[in-house]
Order: sequence, then C-alpha cells, then structure tokens
Amino acid sequence: MKRITLYTLLLALITFACTERVDLNLDETYTRMVVDGGISNDTGSYQITLTKTADYFYNEPAPRVAGATVNLTNGTDNYLLHETEPGISGIYETDATFFGIIGETYTLDIDLNEPIDNLTTYYSSCQMMNVARLDSIQVVLETDWGPKGIWQIRVFAQEPGDETNYYMFHYYRNDTLMTDSIWKVAVSDDKYINGSYINGLAAIYINNENPWEAFNPGDKVTLKMSGITKEYYDFITQVQLSGFNIPFFTGPPANVQGNISNGGIGFFSAYSNTWGSTVVK
Amino acid sequence: MKFLVTLLLGCLCFLPTLSAATDSELPGKWTISGSIRDFSNGEDLTGATVYVTELNTGAVSDFYGNYSVTIPEGHYTIQYSFVGFETVQRKVHLDKNLVIHIELNPASETLKEVEITSEQANKNVVRPEMSTFKMDIKTIKSIPSLMGEVDIIKAIQLLPGVQAVSEGGSGFSVRGGAPDQNLILLDESTVYNASHLMGFFSVFNNDAIKDVKLYKGDIPPMYGGRLSSVLDVRMKEGNSKRFEVNGGIGIIASRLTVEGPIWKDRISFIVSGRRTYADLFLALSSEKALRDNKLYFYDLNAKVNYRINDNNHLFISGYFGRDVFKNDFAKMSWGNSTGTIRWNHLFNKKLFANFTFVYSDYRYMLGTPEGTTSSFEWNSNLRDAGLKGDLSYYINTNNTLHFGISGIYHMINPGVAGGTGSESAYTEVKVPDNFSLESGVYVSNEQKVGEHWTFKYGLRFSMFQNIGPGTIYNFDSLYNPIDSTVYPAGDFYNTYYGIEPRIGILYTFNESSSMKASYSRTNQYLQLAQNSTAGTPLDIWFSASPNVKPQVADQGALGYFRNFRRNTIETSVEVYYKQMNHVIDFKDFAQLLLNEKLEGEIREGKGWSYGAEFLFRLNEKKFGGWVSYTLSKSMRKIPEINNGDPYPAPYDKPHNVAIVANYRFLPRWSVSANWVYATGNPVTFPTGRAEIGGKVIPIYSNRNAYRYQDYHRLDMSVTFYSKEKEGKRFKWDINASVYNVYNRHNTWSINFVQDNENPNVTYAEKIYLFGIVPSVTFNFHF
Repeated sequence: MKRITLYTLLLALITFACTERVDLNLDETYTRMVVDGGISNDTGSYQITLTKTADYFYNEPAPRVAGATVNLTNGTDNYLLHETEPGISGIYETDATFFGIIGETYTLDIDLNEPIDNLTTYYSSCQMMNVARLDSIQVVLETDWGPKGIWQIRVFAQEPGDETNYYMFHYYRNDTLMTDSIWKVAVSDDKYINGSYINGLAAIYINNENPWEAFNPGDKVTLKMSGITKEYYDFITQVQLSGFNIPFFTGPPANVQGNISNGGIGFFSAYSNTWGSTVVK
Repeated sequence: MKFLVTLLLGCLCFLPTLSAATDSELPGKWTISGSIRDFSNGEDLTGATVYVTELNTGAVSDFYGNYSVTIPEGHYTIQYSFVGFETVQRKVHLDKNLVIHIELNPASETLKEVEITSEQANKNVVRPEMSTFKMDIKTIKSIPSLMGEVDIIKAIQLLPGVQAVSEGGSGFSVRGGAPDQNLILLDESTVYNASHLMGFFSVFNNDAIKDVKLYKGDIPPMYGGRLSSVLDVRMKEGNSKRFEVNGGIGIIASRLTVEGPIWKDRISFIVSGRRTYADLFLALSSEKALRDNKLYFYDLNAKVNYRINDNNHLFISGYFGRDVFKNDFAKMSWGNSTGTIRWNHLFNKKLFANFTFVYSDYRYMLGTPEGTTSSFEWNSNLRDAGLKGDLSYYINTNNTLHFGISGIYHMINPGVAGGTGSESAYTEVKVPDNFSLESGVYVSNEQKVGEHWTFKYGLRFSMFQNIGPGTIYNFDSLYNPIDSTVYPAGDFYNTYYGIEPRIGILYTFNESSSMKASYSRTNQYLQLAQNSTAGTPLDIWFSASPNVKPQVADQGALGYFRNFRRNTIETSVEVYYKQMNHVIDFKDFAQLLLNEKLEGEIREGKGWSYGAEFLFRLNEKKFGGWVSYTLSKSMRKIPEINNGDPYPAPYDKPHNVAIVANYRFLPRWSVSANWVYATGNPVTFPTGRAEIGGKVIPIYSNRNAYRYQDYHRLDMSVTFYSKEKEGKRFKWDINASVYNVYNRHNTWSINFVQDNENPNVTYAEKIYLFGIVPSVTFNFHF
C-alpha cells in the first residue's frame, strides 16, 4: 500500500523534475565493521560476508574482512563457519547440512584478527520466525496498468491472526533467482491482512515493459515467502530507501539500523521459508 | 466546555457595563465615529487613517473599516486618508457625538503624483506594531510568477524573515520556525493545508482576496495557537455599487470572478472560481498511460455581505478547493473547505464587536480502482468548528482596549484505510479519532503616553483540553509502547494552560522615525506530523496530549523605522531572538502515517533562532518595490537526535536577499522583476559506505552538516494594458512572465545513485524542478 502511495505521488512529480549528475566533495569517516548474511530452515550452506566501510566515493568492491573466526550458535549447538578462500574472501559459510529450527534464536559471534573501530569482537542475534503455509500462487498480467501491463505474483495463504507477522518475498523465473539484490526483494507487514485469508493479494509486481524481467507463457515461476523479524523488515525497508532524498516523502537521511553489536553495520538474519510454483499461461 | 460558557457569560455581562460607561462621557469630550469605504466598490478600508490636524492625533480604521476618535469640543479639520486613495478633508464643529461615513476615491492613474501620497502614509513608523507586513493584492499581482499564477504565499516568501521551505513550495518558515508554526487564516477560518499541486500553487485565488497581513512577531493577543506567525488573508466583500466581472486566462489555469450588489449599498456578493487544466494537455500525449491521467485543482470562493444598518453588518463567506489526481493505478484527492459567519456589531460609538463562527475542513482520500484483490481506500480528515468574540473599546484617543474570547473544537480522523469491493484482501485499519477543545481569552490595551510613547500590553490565556473518546498509548523511556488508556466520550482527560503575555513599546522620534520593541509568548497545541522538507497532502495534524507537551515560544524583537521623501521610502531594521521549547522532531525512519502509536515516534527538544532583517521599500507612483536582506540562524537541539548535539533547522538559511521591483514606464506598459538569493538548504550527506546484499548503502554525516549550493533566481514580467478611456468599462491586460530567467538549475534535492553498469560506482544526482519557465496570462475586467 505504501508503495502505491509513493508511486502515485512520484508520478505527479515526474512531469516537472529534471536530473543531472553533480560533483560533491564529501568528508571521510572512520571505518566500521559490516556484516551481511542469514540462515533459514531449509537445509543448505549459508554465507555470511564480512566487509569494512569505505569513503562514499570509493567506487570499488568493499574491502573484505578475511581471517576472522565466525561461530554460529542457538545456545545448545555450535556451528563453526569456514572461510571460502581462507584469509582472502571474507565469505564464511556453514556446512551444506545446516538447517535452522523455527523459534530458536541464533547468535553469530565474530572474532577478528585485526581490530576494526578499535574492536575485535562483534556479535548479532536473530530469532527464526514462523511463516504461514503458502497454499498456491498465481501469475497474472494486469493489462490495464501501464503501457504494456504489469505482472503480478499473487499469494494464497491463511494469515495467522494471533501474531504480528512480517514477510519477505523472493521469486525465481525458470529456477533463476530474480531478486538477487536486496533492493529487488519485496517485504510486507500484516497490518491490512492480519488474520484474513490472503486470497490472491499481489506480493510482487513486474513491469512487462522490461524484457529482462518480464514473463513469457510457459515460464516456471517460483515464489519463496519468508517469515522475518520486525527488525529485519525495517532494515530491508531502510536499505531500499537509502540514498534517496525526495523532499516530499523522505525524512532526514539516517543510517540504516541493523542488528550488529558495537556499532557494526548490516544484518544477520534468520527466517523460515514456504514455497510455491506455477507455470505462466 | 463549562469554563468557556462561564467566560462567555462573563464577557456578555461585561458588555452592558461598557456600553453604559460610554454614555457617561467625560465632560467636554465627544466622539466622531463611522466607517471608511472605497467609493468605487463599497469595500471596507482596513487601516485607513483618520487624522485630527489641530491635535496631531488620530485613529486607524479596524478590519471592517470602522473608526472612533474621542476628542474635546472644538473646531477641527479631519483628514481621511489611505495609501492609493485621494485624501478627504472634513471641517467639523464638534459639540456632540458625530457619525461620519466616508468613501474614498481610488487615486486614478491620470492624477498628479502629489495627491496620492497621503500625509499619513507613515503608519509603518507611528503605529505601535512591528514585525508585520501588509500587502494589498495589487502589489502581489505585480510580482512575476510561476506559470503566470500570481500567488500570495510566493509574495510572502519575498519578505525579510520569511524563507521558502523548498523550491516552488507553499511552505514557508518565519524567523526560523517550522512551516506548521504559521497560522494561516482565510476570513478567520484556519486553512490547514495551503498547497495545491504539491505546493507549487497556494489555495488563495487572488481575484477573491482583498489583502494579506503577515505577523512575524509581535502577534496581537487576539491570535493564538501557533508559535511563529499569523498570515491573515481577507476575502473581498463584493462590489456593493455595481456589477463587476474579473477574469483571466493563463497557460495552466483560468479564473472568473463575478461580484455586485444584490441590494445596492446594502447587500453585495462575490463568487470566484479557478481551475487548472494541465491534464488537458496530457490528453494529447501519445502514451496511453499519460493520456488517461487526471491532474487538476479547482477553487471556489464566495461571500455575501449584508449591511443591515449602521450598527450591524453580517458576512458569510466560504471557500472550497480540491486537488484531483487519477491514473490507472490510483486515485487521490485532497482539499480544504472553510466557512465563516461573522456579525459585526457596534454597541455604541466606542465599543465595536465582532462575533464569528468558523468552520474548517481539510481532508484527503487515496485509493486504487475497485474490483481487484489489492483495491483499497484511505481517508483522513481534520475538522474545526469554533466561536469567537472580539471586541474593541476606544476609550479615548490615548487608550484602545481589545478583548475577546474564542473556542475551537478540533475533530481529527488521523486515518482509516481498508479494502474496497468484495474482492479486496485488505481488512480495515483505523487510527482512533482525536477530539480536543482549544480556547482562549485575551485583553490588551494600546496606550499613548505623551507625544512620543505608545505602550501596548496584553495577555492571552489559552487552554487546551483533550476530550474523550480517546485512546492514549503509554510509552516507556525508550518510547516502546507499554499499554494504552481508553477514555470515555465526553471525558476531559487532559488539560494544558498557557499564559501568553504580548507587549510592545513604540517611541517616535518624529513623524518619520521611531524605535519599537516587542515581546511575545505563543503556545501551540496542534502540529503537523511532517518529516520531509516539502510536505505532502497526506501529512496529518496531531494535537497535544498526555504524551505531547504544547510547544511554547518566547520572542523578543527590537526595530528602528525611518521613512524618507514624504514617506515614499520606508526603511526598517529589526533584530529578533526566539526561543522555542518542546519543539518537535521525529526519530529516524519515523512512521507518521496510519500509525496509532505516532506519539512514540516524536522526539521533543529546544529550538532557537535569531537574526537581523533589513527592509527598504519604495512606493513611488510609477516605481515600486522593495529590497530585503535577512541574516539569521535557526537551530534545534533534541536529546535523541544527532547524539544530542545542536543542528541547523531544515530552514536555516543564513543569508537571504529579495529584490522586488515594478516600473510602469509608460501609461500602458509596466515591467516587473524579482531576484532572490538564499544560502543553500542544510542537508545530511553520506561520508562513508557499506555494501549490503548487492547495494551500496550510505553512512551519513551529522544531521544537516552540509548545504546545497546557494539558491538564486531571477523572474521577470512585462504587462501591456488596454487604453484608459472615460466611460469605457472593459479593461484588459496581457502579462508575459518568465520564471528563472537565466535558467539556473537550483537544487531541489540530491540523491545518491548506484551505477547500473558498474554497481561499485555511486554518484550524486541533483534533482531540479524548474528550468526557465515562460508563460502568458490574459486578464480582463468589466
């Protein structure tokens, strides 16, 4: 609903506005630890990427934090993560047999061999939330919308009424992950649907004008619906808006709020998934 | 409510006492009273001067053109004057109370210069009133404008001490205050959102407006409820002499106004309408999506004015305006309606009263077409209903007493949203309604002491009460909601009081120079949940409550006023300091819309601003305009924001210059130009970056640590008038204007964008709204 509001207002504005690139001189700031990654209840290998912040116009891949000791625990079991290329990559992964248990709280402990922001230890915790079962999905082209129509991936599921839920949606076209960056992911809360049967509400909108994302008849479409924490929902929303300053809509810019200790940036997430597939007619 | 009734009764009991008192005059003193009107159309002249030459004293007519002077018995020459009108002199032998109604003739263009510059055009110097600025509609109309739509608020933004909040927007900041700290009144009814079309135009249609007065400080006690300023806009009353039609055709909007007598000299009316047609051009677009778009606004102003007799005068006025936007996906509409019923009653020659009923309604609707699973509609509105009584008692030439009482009932529906149609998957979400009563009583006296001094001292007592039904959430010290308290209907569950002294001192050195000082305290109980700099129609107002303390401001100002060349040049310097407590800001990523726990998003703290304002204003017959320069600072300090360190307010622009000039170089030609310059808006920029999930996210500087580039812009216009002929009623003019003549790309905002080709690269991208914008308007009048 929020998205539609923004879109509506933006359209009214676009008639007037023009843009141009500008050069700015920005100050430098101190380096901070960045953690990015998550785990779910599906069995598989999960990656946590450790990097450092840089100056804003650094314009190169973020400097990696290699050689750290990264441990994952739910209080009873410990899982040591292995760096994919030891001492180089800064990417730490679990064994391929790992799966999380819904309801458990997982803690990520990071020990660095070189301090960042004068600290060598960082940690983060996240509870693995439950998710309602996806009954089915439907893919529909809404032809009235826009010049070539808008594709919708619609959800059918019973929303639990006794709790506040937050959802994250990923989708695959012919088994290729299309939401491969955090800004493409869709999120939703249950504010307007709490406790009701979700009878085909659109979770994902795809512009049929863009050939790289449009569907064709016969395409297999898979939707992954995940139950996430409120903190992660807020985080994704903030990341998606970050960098944009539209005087009408956005408040003063602020740093995104993650769940990493000691002033670290980023998020360690834990979520549970439910899947649905269909073939485009 | 009981409190109000008691007060009201108290006041009413007080009236006969005053009425009686005036009949037992001081021996040998008599009162001349009456009204001053415009001869051409019967409109009341506000602020016209009545001057008793022999005694070097006088009075000024009130909002409704009424005046009263009490002087000893004798022979006098009374001079009635008003800027832009021919002065009238009357010789009187005063040995009893006299009623003199005067109609002044507008100074015609063909008159020699001498007559139109009245001797008493030094009101700016000799009136005990500072930090105010009055503009007649003629001045406003001579300012070049965006797309030819002349605008009151854009004109206000050119005054010293007033800053535009964002390019082309209708929001303005007065002396470092927030845009929601301005009380905007249209015929005494509050206008809660003065913007059309995202703020590029204001809701005020010039053809229906008589004049505008802005109080930046030294706010008279009759006004309350906002910290920083009062913008008092008065609608025309309608020509009581003859029918008149005014209209205009512009590139984006057209206007039509009809006014005239229903009963000559007794009942007059005015009806004025305006509609934009920007969307008519969209219909020509080749793109289907654009073609079906609707985007327009319209306004309707109407007023009826009934002069029942010399002592009773009734006005009924109303405004209705809507913005409408619609495309395939969504529809949206918003707008104000206001209504005023006012009874102007003269109890006797010295006691004038005004009883007013005001109603105001601001609402918006946002939704999607029905018939899909994602169909929804979202509504919000704010309604006010109020009663006011304002009285003036002209005790003698040295003392004028103003007093009154007011009560406004606020009804706020912060938002209700839900699915529409049977297919919609959305359930309803409603933020509980909020009810409150804002009331005030005030008394003030204006007292002349000797030849040089005038003192103004008054007190406003304000009161704000939350009334049930209401749901108030309780928060812990970290603003997490703990539980909520539900109050039953009719329960006055929370009360705040405000004692607001308003004091002013005037010392006149001579006819053309004076010093003024003022102190005022103002309280504000309603504020806008607005986190962005430009604001949107969706911003909602919320009231003080057990969680939200009223905002309080103390302002002191000192000024020197000096006129030159027989008052054709007015100059002034004012300095001010304003301290604000419980000012409001919001936590990072605050959720302001459809949030029943909005109060948990608020962070409160202190604000202060200070500055110096310089004004040079020229009022020659052919050449008019002003130069204003403001040097100022406006800061905020809120414990939970910016680590508790002070930061510049979003409207802090240390240097601000406006030059406005109008020159009628030939009888049928005039040119106008204005140039504005302001330090760039403060802004928060990234100083570092982190990579998360394939996106580069910025790490920001301290709040408002950077600034956009300085803002400057030149606008020009030229007007060609029809020939003036005796007896010819049809007049027209063509106005061609250019906004942003040298096509400066002033920054509206800067975004930080990740390059599509190489996601490691980020760059800064400036959005600017207007390049050079030419326009043509044709105006006619008969």
